[in-house]
Amino acid sequence: MDIDDILREVDPSFDSVPQETRDVQALTRAWVAERSAPELLPWPADGLFERVNDKIKNQIEKVEEMTGDMDPKTNFALIVIQTELERYRYLVRSYLRARIAKIDKHTLHYLSTDALRSRLSELELAYATRHQALLHNHYLSSFLASFPAGLQNLNDSSGNINMVDTPDLDTAVFVRLLRDTVVQGRGVHKDDEMEGTDGSILILRWSDAKGLCERGDAELV
Amino acid sequence: MALSLPPGLTHSEVAFLCEMELVTVVPRQRLESIPLLRGKTPALRPPHRADLPLWLALLLKKQRRANIVPPPWLHPASLAELIHRETKVDPEKFSAPPPTPSRARYNLPGLAHRANDDERQIFSPPFLPSCTAAAPAGYLPYHWLEMAETLLAHAADDMPVPAGEIRGLLRDLVEVRAAKMRAGIGSAGLGGDGFLEMTGVGAVELAESRGFVLGVVDGVRKIGASAEASRREEELEAGDREDDDDDEDMGI
Repeated sequence: MDIDDILREVDPSFDSVPQETRDVQALTRAWVAERSAPELLPWPADGLFERVNDKIKNQIEKVEEMTGDMDPKTNFALIVIQTELERYRYLVRSYLRARIAKIDKHTLHYLSTDALRSRLSELELAYATRHQALLHNHYLSSFLASFPAGLQNLNDSSGNINMVDTPDLDTAVFVRLLRDTVVQGRGVHKDDEMEGTDGSILILRWSDAKGLCERGDAELV
Repeated sequence: MALSLPPGLTHSEVAFLCEMELVTVVPRQRLESIPLLRGKTPALRPPHRADLPLWLALLLKKQRRANIVPPPWLHPASLAELIHRETKVDPEKFSAPPPTPSRARYNLPGLAHRANDDERQIFSPPFLPSCTAAAPAGYLPYHWLEMAETLLAHAADDMPVPAGEIRGLLRDLVEVRAAKMRAGIGSAGLGGDGFLEMTGVGAVELAESRGFVLGVVDGVRKIGASAEASRREEELEAGDREDDDDDEDMGI
C-alpha cells in the first residue's frame, strides 16, 4: 500500500477518472477502431451512445440558455463550449457514417445471421433491412423479374460460390497492445507467437487481432 | 451520407486526435472552470499552470489569454539525444515510446498519474498526459510530429530557443525515422511472418505509410495464399501423425 492508496481510502474521489473522460476515451477508441477495422464492429453494449447523445442534448440546451446572456465573460465560455460540442459531434457523426459505409457495402452479409445482425443497433438494422428491401424491389422491377425463377436469388450459394460479398477478415491492421499479453499471428511462411508488452504497436491480420481487441488487450490505431 | 474514406485514419483525422492531447498552459488571465462534455476544465488562476486539451490551449493562445509550456521532449537537448539514439544506439528500431503508466509509475516522476490504474478501462493516447510539462524528456509520444508542428506554428514564441533550431532538429528526426520506415518495409519479414512490430512509430508516420504497408502485407498474403494453405495442411498432418504416435505409445 502506498500513499495514493491511503489517500484513495480517505477520499474516494481522489484521482478517480470522471465518467465523462471515460466516455470520451471509449467513443474515440470506438471511432478509431471502426475507421480501421475491415468489418463492422459490434455496437457498444454498455449504453455509451445513449449517454453521449443525452450529454450532447443537454449541452445544446445549455448553449441556448447562455446565448441570451450578453455578459462578455460567459461569451468566451460559450465559444469554448460550442467548439467542444462541434468536436464531439464530429466524432459521433464520423463513427456512424463509417458504420453506414460498411453496412451499405455488405448489407446482405450483415443481415444473414443473427450473430451478425446483433452487431447493428436498432436504427441501423431498420435502415439496412429497408434499404435492402428497396434495392431488391428495384432490381425486381428493372431486370430480375424477367430472369428464370431459379436465377432470381440475390443470395445464391450453389456451386460453392456465395453471391453474398463478405469483408476480407484477413486484412492487415495496426494495433496497439494495452496489456501485456501473448500475441499469436499467422503468416505466409510461418506462424509466430510472442509475449507482447503494453504500448507495443504491431501489424497483424484482423482475424488474429480481433480476439485481442474484443478482450480489451489491444486497440486498433 | 456514408463515409467515403478508405479504412485507416487520414492525416486530418490524426490531427483532430492530436488536438485532444493535454498540454500545460500558463494562464495570463483568470478564467472560471467551464463545464465541457469531456469534464470540467480546471479554473485558470495566473500564474498557476494547468493542463488543457490542445485545441483549447490554442484558442487561449490566439487570444493571448495564456502561454503554452512546450513539453520536455521538445527541448533541443532532448531532441538531440533522440537523434543520437535513433542513429547511433539503435539504428534499426524506432526509439521507445513513453513508458505506459502501468510500467513507469514509480521510477519516473513525470508519469506519476495513475490514469491506467483502473481495471475497467485502460487509457491510451491522446488521453495520456504525454505532452504536458510533466511528461518525461527523451521519449517521443504517439502524436509527437503533429504536436511539434502545431506548437511551432502557433506558439513559436513560447519555445525556449528560436523555432528554427527546433525545426531543424525535428526535420533530422523525421528523416531518420522515415528511412527506418522504408527499411522496415523492405525487410523480408513483411507479410511472411505472423506479425511485424513497429513500436514507437508516430501517428502521422503511421498514417503516411499505412496504405503502402498494409497493401504490401495483404498483397504478400494473397500471393502466398496457396503456399500457406499447403503449409497448414502439412502441419496439420504432421500434428495428426504425432497424435497417432502418442496413442500407440499409450497403447503399449
